[in-house]
Amino acid sequence: MNSIYLYQDDLLSLLNLIHYLVINKVTPDNIKPLDYAPTLLDEVINLKIEVNNDLIKQIINNYSIRIFNIIYYVFLSENENKELIIYYFYLNLLKYKTNIIYMRNLRCVSKALKISKYVSSEAHRLKGFVRFKKLKQEIYYAEIAPENNVIFLLAKHFKNRLKNEYWIIKDVKRGLISIYDKKDFYLTTESNFKMHDFKTSEDDADIKDMWKEFYNIIAIEQRTNERCRMNFMPKKYWKYIIEMSDNNEKNY
Amino acid sequence: MEIKEKLRILADSAKYDASCSSSGSKRKGDLGNASFSGICHSFSADGRCISLLKILLTNCCIYDCKYCLNRKSNNIKRAIFTPEEICYITINFYKRNYIEGLFLSSGIIKNPDYTMNLIIKTITLLRNKYHFGGYIHAKAIPGCSEYLVKKLGLLVDRLSANIELPTENGIKLLAPHKDFKNTEKIMGYVKENKSHKFVPAGQSTQMIIGATKESDLDILSKSEAMYNKFKLKRVFYSAYIPVNKDNLLPTLEKPPLVREHRLYQADWLLRYYGFKTEDLLNSKQANFNLLIDPKAAWALNHLQEFPKEINSCSYYDLLKIPGIGVTSAKRIMSSRKHFKITFKDLKNMGIVLKRAKYFITCNGKYFIDTTFFNKNFIEANLVLEDKPNNAVERKQLSFFHE
Ligand code: SF4
Repeated sequence: MNSIYLYQDDLLSLLNLIHYLVINKVTPDNIKPLDYAPTLLDEVINLKIEVNNDLIKQIINNYSIRIFNIIYYVFLSENENKELIIYYFYLNLLKYKTNIIYMRNLRCVSKALKISKYVSSEAHRLKGFVRFKKLKQEIYYAEIAPENNVIFLLAKHFKNRLKNEYWIIKDVKRGLISIYDKKDFYLTTESNFKMHDFKTSEDDADIKDMWKEFYNIIAIEQRTNERCRMNFMPKKYWKYIIEMSDNNEKNY
Repeated sequence: MEIKEKLRILADSAKYDASCSSSGSKRKGDLGNASFSGICHSFSADGRCISLLKILLTNCCIYDCKYCLNRKSNNIKRAIFTPEEICYITINFYKRNYIEGLFLSSGIIKNPDYTMNLIIKTITLLRNKYHFGGYIHAKAIPGCSEYLVKKLGLLVDRLSANIELPTENGIKLLAPHKDFKNTEKIMGYVKENKSHKFVPAGQSTQMIIGATKESDLDILSKSEAMYNKFKLKRVFYSAYIPVNKDNLLPTLEKPPLVREHRLYQADWLLRYYGFKTEDLLNSKQANFNLLIDPKAAWALNHLQEFPKEINSCSYYDLLKIPGIGVTSAKRIMSSRKHFKITFKDLKNMGIVLKRAKYFITCNGKYFIDTTFFNKNFIEANLVLEDKPNNAVERKQLSFFHE
């Protein structure tokens, strides 16, 4: 049997579980969120452990914000074994302390670094690729469908950038929504969010047309390089990048 | 004229400027902020990063530079933006997250001071009336008064003046109205006054590649001299694209993109790897080999210094290894204190061995039989791996990373 340990779907409870397992020298076969559907070979174990609310703060203080961010970004990824990777990373963290980030010869370390880099670069890319439209109610609204769960990272970015505007970002893939009220942003799920009128403001179509026009004109014909564009702006993002989705509609 | 049509004309005539970088500034404002590492918002069909709304204030020009679409003698549609129009587009694009900011350049209308004043007026409006805190890159107009450079520098993140050609002769030939010295005057002035308030993201310039007979040695020496003298952040290289017919201009079938790419690579070596122009080129070999990147070409000519032992050679030596960049070198330095690095570890560390493997040993081991460590074998393999179209793709990165 595989022993599968369960956690509530958030980082704090995962870290508490991992900390408990490490301290008690338990080696899990896997760690999964509560809604995990076990196979016949799985034995699921739901430990009742006391949650230390300061654990994240302690990781940051004892090690560094950079090390916490590595763990956090792996958690935001969709990697199948992310919990196990965090487990082994944490296990080695207790041994190597802040030197952990240099121990790239350990598989869990090189994996964790690679995944966290992947997540942070997707977040960075999307800081550029997010496209807002202006709704009638003077709200800026954008939809995204990222590979990783980066909506929180994006919300943090736009809180500073568009601090005097109302905005909403929706992760269509995960049904997550981030709302900003000119003071702070909130994360919620689609089911808790009621808004019916998504009509755009009067000037929005005009601005969008100007942008598409600008986009097409700025390319230098003699330098056309489709492969290069695709490398930097992969097709999976095109649906929500208006200059790409609208341009392509014409071809269908 | 409608604003849309103006945008069409004035973006079209601005697009030959290579720079679109938005990095190096930490500005904050009521509307927007600058991201220190820069952000690309889109990529055009030519694979170039679109970060800024790149436009001219006007494409009217009193000069007649041979290579330029906007030259006086061309019979083209002319337009001029009002400052409010530029603000309108910038703000609306910015709030929808289409752009990181504005890159404003201009043809010379009436005279340099008059043009500068229009640019200043526009950007003042953007900063003071609309409280725009996003990134702004503006062109200073060579020949303008110094006090105007000072005024403009306090409003923008980056200021640049394009040198366009590496030698005075080139300028005389193709841009007869321009005074080589005026561009350098602006650079000198910006350097003197640079602070966290004055042009915080530093200055850059651009050279056109392949419009004149100048060699890579001429071009790179000019870059090196400018980096040293004016503390430039970047020199951009822009493969010449024929937009005008003129018997002083070459007729090229395709823009020299690979050559442009080699220059970017060499430029990188000057800025971050401790190379000097004279290490890479000389009067006998005044142009780069198009088949092989400049660092690998250098290494092949200095094969007696290789292979280098990853676990013990100096940081500076690591940087000389083809395929090893600054990030990789730092990673190796910090990791090897903790364990002996093998070839497999290098892979785990995310270090690309494609080219590096020919030039290194790990714990005394070469990646294959050491009898293969010879110039012909390595050169043949490197050429195969550095196909020009891979190269052009990689190059694009350099538009963005400072
Ligand atoms: S001064 Fe500038 S805009 Fe005018 S012709 Fe020369 S390059 Fe073109």
